[in-house]
Amino acid sequence: MSKLHTGKDFWSGVMFLGFAAVAIYVARGYSMGTPGRMGPGYFPILLAIVLGLLGLILVARAMLTGDAAVSRIKIVPLLLVIAGVVLFGYTIQWLGLVISLMLTVALAAAAGRESRPLEVAVMAVALAAFSVTVFHYLLLLPLPIWPNF
Amino acid sequence: MDFLSHLTTGFSVAAAGLNILYCFIGVLLGTLVGVLPGIGPVTTVAMLLPFSFTLPPESALILLAGIYYGAQYGGSTTAILVNIPGEASSVVTTLDGHKMALAGRAGPALGIAALGSFFAGCVATALIVIAAPPLAAIALQFGPAEYFSLMVCGLVAAVVLATGSVIKAIAMVVLGLLFGLVGTDINSGVRRFDFGITGLADGIEFVALSMAIYGLAEIAVNLERREASGQVTTAIGRVWPSWQDIKHCIPAVLRGTGLGSLLGVLPGGGALLAAFAAYTLEKKVAKPPRHFGNGDIRGVAAPESANNAGAQTSFIPMLTLGIPSNPTMAMMIGAMMIHGISPGPRVMTDRPGLFWGIIVSMWIGNLMLVVLNLPLVGIWVKLLRLPYRFLFPSIVVFCCIGTYSVNSSITDIYVMAFLALFGYCCIKLDCEPAPLILGFVLGPLMEENLRRALLISRGDAMVLLQEPISLAFLLVSAGLLLIVAMPTIRRKRDEALQE
Repeated sequence: MSKLHTGKDFWSGVMFLGFAAVAIYVARGYSMGTPGRMGPGYFPILLAIVLGLLGLILVARAMLTGDAAVSRIKIVPLLLVIAGVVLFGYTIQWLGLVISLMLTVALAAAAGRESRPLEVAVMAVALAAFSVTVFHYLLLLPLPIWPNF
Repeated sequence: MDFLSHLTTGFSVAAAGLNILYCFIGVLLGTLVGVLPGIGPVTTVAMLLPFSFTLPPESALILLAGIYYGAQYGGSTTAILVNIPGEASSVVTTLDGHKMALAGRAGPALGIAALGSFFAGCVATALIVIAAPPLAAIALQFGPAEYFSLMVCGLVAAVVLATGSVIKAIAMVVLGLLFGLVGTDINSGVRRFDFGITGLADGIEFVALSMAIYGLAEIAVNLERREASGQVTTAIGRVWPSWQDIKHCIPAVLRGTGLGSLLGVLPGGGALLAAFAAYTLEKKVAKPPRHFGNGDIRGVAAPESANNAGAQTSFIPMLTLGIPSNPTMAMMIGAMMIHGISPGPRVMTDRPGLFWGIIVSMWIGNLMLVVLNLPLVGIWVKLLRLPYRFLFPSIVVFCCIGTYSVNSSITDIYVMAFLALFGYCCIKLDCEPAPLILGFVLGPLMEENLRRALLISRGDAMVLLQEPISLAFLLVSAGLLLIVAMPTIRRKRDEALQE
């Protein structure tokens, strides 16, 4: 059986290399300055190079000595949670907290395997009531509460 | 005399009407999240961070601090009764604590955990009062070179003590530093890494980052596992431990407190490491050792004292140097910065009320915790039955509201969504997020201090090695890295962290 080479170390190395590449690409336009007068590009480029080297080491090590497999990924719960957050961001300013929150609860709750529709509905209403009371009336946070078209 | 006048200042702030209420809310919430598995103090502090901005800074920090050490108490309750550590720092408590519960001695286990924690909390509070002023006085002498090297040292220590691969931990620190640089550069006015998004001009919102990783990404990972349902031992019995139990535990509590206080100060340390180390030490030195793992009360007393001591002393570097030793401390620093207080040695002299108030509130909070925990244990046990399916949608919603309310910025919410995806990848790839958070907080400070140090030395990087204090910090960092790099020690470290 051949050893696994593309596991946790390999992919984290790739992730770090990716971030380093983006950082260097974006920072290429920032002035480097001199060590005595560091420009806005100096420290980020320095960090990005170090990050890239570390990423390379991780990838190389995975290739040479083998790697541990990534545990099974269940993408659906993750995407539902993230979708809930994005939906909140998309709707909060025009639909207001109450509706926005209920939509997010519904989406997020769908991420759990054992959620029951009635329970989710009750939870959404309860959370909305709680949030409006606490955040709007008690903490006076500037949150839009109702739809505003 | 100073000692007393500091404490008086502290009491006058901490005991002032509303602050005592916030302290109470803090420890109550802390105990609650400590009891609930799947939500920890870091998540809670992250969630409450935006809401604490409406409070005066003293109240906000007293509240947030209460959550942190309160969770250490709550975590032990579930560890003992259900064999589920509510908090990572209570993992070792399950070993002997749950065995005691099975043997019908849940009461004394809970009792000694609370009493040991209370004792440790008192000692640690006193230690902070004694150690903080001289430390801050030393730190006031630091120039930019010393500060830069101190931060390097702090970050390296955090890496060494992180679980898993050292290279990954270093990479996470560096990535955290880079994340910290996003936004307008204070010196040149250049907007760095904003990808043309106006909302990123002020940088990545700290609240969004911490909630994405400790709230949302955690949820996604938790949902992959099956819902843990433990056996609740409801028969608690007499909570007050017998005099014999107490006598038996005194050395363990003392050792746990000492070791915990020491390890709490270390960067990367804090409650978790303290508990593990104290249990290991106790197993080695306590006589007779044969009962450990089978319900030895000392196996509860030592780690519980240690984690509480460590939780408290980890405030020392945060309050005196402005260096966070763990993610919760990083959030406290975030909270201070948003209130316009720059953390560091000046806090003590410029805001004595805030400084001593927090410290005294910890002592008051510990007292409240003993009262909360011993008689109210029954209520906490009932809460254990709250299923995760009710918990996680609420966390998602609070994360959204919290992040939005900081700047009323939708960009922050989208940034949080992206970082949640990133955080999930990190957890799946065994890249611990704690070093990233520490790096994120220190990023701009490190750049600024390096810039100043090099400006003074006219670009000569050797200045970092020529200043004796700075050199010492760098030598310690190099030494630590060398030590972990050595294969035999690395194996021992892995064993110690896994045990």
